[in-house]
Amino acid sequence: MDCKQAASLMHEYLDHDLPEDQALGLKSHLDICEACRMKLKELEQTDMLLFAAVKSSIPSAPDDVLERIMSKLPKQRKQQAWLRWVRRHPALTAAAMFLLVMIFSSLSLWQADDQLIVKGADLDQVRIEGHTVIVPEGTAIAGDLTIENGNTEVYGEVKGNLTVIDGSLYQASTAKIAGDAKTIDQALDWIWYRITNTFSEVAYR
Amino acid sequence: MAEHMDTRLVKLARKGNQGAFAELVELYKDKIFHLAYRMLSNRHEAEDIVQEAFLRVYKNWDRYDENQKFSTWIYRIATNLCIDRLRKRKPTYSLDAELNDQDGTDGYTLVPGDERTPETAYLLSETQTTIHQAIDGLPAKYKSVMVLRYLQELSLQEIADILKMPVTTVKTRVHRGREFLRKRLEHKLF
Repeated sequence: MDCKQAASLMHEYLDHDLPEDQALGLKSHLDICEACRMKLKELEQTDMLLFAAVKSSIPSAPDDVLERIMSKLPKQRKQQAWLRWVRRHPALTAAAMFLLVMIFSSLSLWQADDQLIVKGADLDQVRIEGHTVIVPEGTAIAGDLTIENGNTEVYGEVKGNLTVIDGSLYQASTAKIAGDAKTIDQALDWIWYRITNTFSEVAYR
Repeated sequence: MAEHMDTRLVKLARKGNQGAFAELVELYKDKIFHLAYRMLSNRHEAEDIVQEAFLRVYKNWDRYDENQKFSTWIYRIATNLCIDRLRKRKPTYSLDAELNDQDGTDGYTLVPGDERTPETAYLLSETQTTIHQAIDGLPAKYKSVMVLRYLQELSLQEIADILKMPVTTVKTRVHRGREFLRKRLEHKLF
């Protein structure tokens, strides 16, 4: 064993980490090496002095430290309960948010007003009398037609889909509707319509 | 026993029980203060560290791993805060090179003196002053290991957990730190 090896074993010894066989090896080196004996003595003394000196003459923490910490604590613990839940379940939160937004936007659209709304690509041909929308005989509407909050009477031709929301649909014997004719009355139907419509719109884009 | 008590208090404190949190502060404030004082050699800064460490504990309960000892967590927070402070102090003298060297030249004489009042300095023995100055002169990464080892008397494994480094690294630092201090004391004491 050379002195360098011995030095590293000395530190292991001071760490109380030196296995017995190595301890014996170190001892036999120390028996023949005066310099290493000195060194171990110094290291041991350093170790003891460190334990003693590091702890001596340390002031104690000021008495009001607890008060100061407690007064600085943020107050909103209640809010954090649900915030923690949100942090733990990001996917569920996102889904819930999506649903919430969907429902609110749908409801607000549904409840918007009682005003008659007519939507379509080709509205020139359509006649409106009070709360009734009429597709006169002999006319042809080029695309889709959507009517909200009104009755609909069809005598002519609609080349796309016809959707009636919160109103009645009358189809005369002369009426021709190329696409689907749908009547939607209830809130749930309406929401379903919004959702499928959104998806199909997205899908066709 | 102490650990069992910690676990109970931690559970309550995490749920927002301020009484339990205050208990934890009482249990650990002195330990954290001593740690910070030995790291920074400055009373006011050490007080700041104590406050900051507990506020961080309070704000970051959701990041606390229950399989870990509370003491390990708060020592880590405090040690990191101290190391940050030391790094922000203007000049950092690298003693690393010297530590690897066999003959130690004076690195620590460059380090600014601490803020002990003359009276307390007078009360300290020369040996203690020498040791305190020598510890002050250590680079932050050695200082934190030595303070945790000799002040808190933690095991090498606990220190490794606190500093999130391998035990072998902690060992090397203790060995080098001890060697460095032995050389500082050699001429004066032995």
